[in-house]
Amino acid sequence: MSEALLEIRGLTVGFDVPGGRLPAVAGIDLTLGKGEILALVGESGSGKSALSMSLVGLNRGPRTHIGGEVLFGGRDLVGAGEKELREVRGKDIAVVFQDALAALNPTQRVGDQVAEMIRTHRRISKRNASKRAEELLGEVGIANPGQAARAYPHQLSGGMRQRVMIAIGLANDPAVLIADEPTTALDVTIQAQVLRLLKRLQRDHGTTIVLITHDLGVVAEVADRVAVMYAGRIIEQGTRDEVLFDPQHPYTMGLLSSVPRVDGPAVSRLPAIAGSPLTGVARPDGCAFAPRCTFVHEACQKQTPPLQRRYAGEAHLDACVLDEAGRARARGALEEVAQ
Amino acid sequence: MKTAILHKAGTPWLIAKRLAAVPLVLLGLSTMVFIAMRLLPGSPATSLAAGGASGNSSAAEITENAEKINAALGLDKSLPEQYFSFLGDLLTLDLGTSFYGGNSITALLGEALPATIELTVAAMLIAVLIGMLTGIVAALRKDTWIDTTTRAIGTVSFSLPWFALGVLSIVIFGVWLRWLPVIGRLPNELDYQPFTNFVLLDAIFQDRPELILPWLEHLLLPAVTLALSMAGFITRIVRASVLEVLGDDFVRTARMKGLSGGTILRRHVLRNSSLPIVTVLGLQFGSLLGGSVITETVFSYPGVGNLLINGILQRDYPIVQGAALAIALLFTLVNVVVDLLYLALDPRLRKA
Ligand SMILES: Nc1ncnc2c1ncn2[C@@H]1O[C@H](COP(=O)(O)OP(=O)(O)OP(=O)(O)O)[C@@H](O)[C@H]1O
Ligand SMILES: [Mg+2]
Repeated sequence: MSEALLEIRGLTVGFDVPGGRLPAVAGIDLTLGKGEILALVGESGSGKSALSMSLVGLNRGPRTHIGGEVLFGGRDLVGAGEKELREVRGKDIAVVFQDALAALNPTQRVGDQVAEMIRTHRRISKRNASKRAEELLGEVGIANPGQAARAYPHQLSGGMRQRVMIAIGLANDPAVLIADEPTTALDVTIQAQVLRLLKRLQRDHGTTIVLITHDLGVVAEVADRVAVMYAGRIIEQGTRDEVLFDPQHPYTMGLLSSVPRVDGPAVSRLPAIAGSPLTGVARPDGCAFAPRCTFVHEACQKQTPPLQRRYAGEAHLDACVLDEAGRARARGALEEVAQ
Repeated sequence: MKTAILHKAGTPWLIAKRLAAVPLVLLGLSTMVFIAMRLLPGSPATSLAAGGASGNSSAAEITENAEKINAALGLDKSLPEQYFSFLGDLLTLDLGTSFYGGNSITALLGEALPATIELTVAAMLIAVLIGMLTGIVAALRKDTWIDTTTRAIGTVSFSLPWFALGVLSIVIFGVWLRWLPVIGRLPNELDYQPFTNFVLLDAIFQDRPELILPWLEHLLLPAVTLALSMAGFITRIVRASVLEVLGDDFVRTARMKGLSGGTILRRHVLRNSSLPIVTVLGLQFGSLLGGSVITETVFSYPGVGNLLINGILQRDYPIVQGAALAIALLFTLVNVVVDLLYLALDPRLRKA
């Protein structure tokens, strides 16, 4: 991994809900390298959005409790006040949201929404900001940027709106771009275009990208590193190839076996991970995946296994107590299911 | 639902349709008023005859007078005949003359309608100002004592009847404190030569700034009386719609941009929460007009409502018909304005 840009230490995010406090993020350590694309994967509700929103305090509120540290540019963003955070938001760290139609203001012209991002952090005339906004719309691959700039969000196609969202994210050339499922709502061709766009950004601007996705196909295409989340924790982390081709945690293996394989028979990929993840307030001791794990044994329930290097490469971490033989058996069993 | 309908139709088409409906609405309404007045017990002739006769006139004399009067007013004709001659006059924009003074209804309305417009517009402005401010504060301080108190006051003021509120403010500010005049629109001793009949406009056209202060003093109590209950209602709507918009995704986008809370409120939240507020204003304007009838009576304010009540009491059919038409016209026009505001505020409703 390249030079560290942002360091997350012991991050927790809890939401007050009826019945107690929901631990959406239950203690995460993660370092973002300069210019890398880190894919954050995991089932719905595993805490991917909660984690990424809390980096710049977008989910701050009376019912949200954020703990731990997020070290960036010599300061801790968790402890920072709103005023200080406002300078980081949109300038150093920007977010591209999933549902662009909802994330754009329906009553404001698209060009103005991009220009607003620029003017918030730079002394620049309205006219020049508008001009720059149009350029940005062109850069993200909108064919007729002048016309698009004057349009309202509802007048654009889904793919165009997502590009507008990305243009807003890029407006101030941020060091970190968090893209929360930027392609889920799009059809396959547009999805591929948007991914290429992100990849180009990383290459041309050296932008660090946190790409949140359910889609392991997307991971395979663009990610440098992968972190797999389960029930508010990272349970496996490594380079893309390590995680995709040599998964260590049964949960990751399950995720992978549930992906349609181009080279395998199409029928067999279904009963990958039975059951559903923990979503409640109560979190029993031990590995959170244990209740759904085919290879569960006594040790799993004793305490939550820490994320650390176990039997794989140096930077390839996992949080599973299975020994090498157990992992091989698990891999074999899942492959059998897939056959 | 309203938005769905608007969405299908193009903008000019929509406005044309609304305007085309105005004459139909007015026709229906005049017909209803025409019938309702004639269903009321008592007739103009008997009340005129009884009023005109000297104290000791006999019942026979009254009946005889009444017949003469009926003939003079055209009330001896059959109902359909009366109705069609009324419609015929209406088509030529002739609203007839008052049974009593013989004044032209158009002239009476020309004086009363501006007074009512002044009152309702002033009330609307006050209500919107109070309602928006309190609604926004309540939303931003959701679930604190500020929110609870604001909502409680809003609910109470919304449920206060105009009549009680009017009488109360007359007693407190007019009789006890003697701060403000409580009768009429301008002091009698003031020499006012109406031109447009809008005092503010006349004060400007005729270069008479000294008219403005007494006018405002007379306007304040009835307007506030009328505004309070509407303000309470607006508070609730504004609070709810601001809260809803605050939860929208694009507000999170605005925060992500690094905008301050105040800018987000002004630039993103208010514009988007104004849609339901504008709808409510259009609908509430109807009840505001209803309230103005009562308020004008309580404050002896020379508006259409006052005209209407007196017309009903005296069975002065042409006055009642004219006043009802004027009120309906005002309501319809305000709602056309509301539709236009809608289109201005929400680009999604405009058709390319
Ligand atoms: N504002 C909130 N208040 C209460 N609970 C919340 C809030 N936001 C998220 N949660 C809960 O926190 C958990 C994690 O949610 P999060 O949105 O981070 O999941 P996710 O991994 O992004 O899922 P998805 O893939 O569906 O986007 C979920 O159980 C969710 O219901
Ligand atoms: Mg999410």
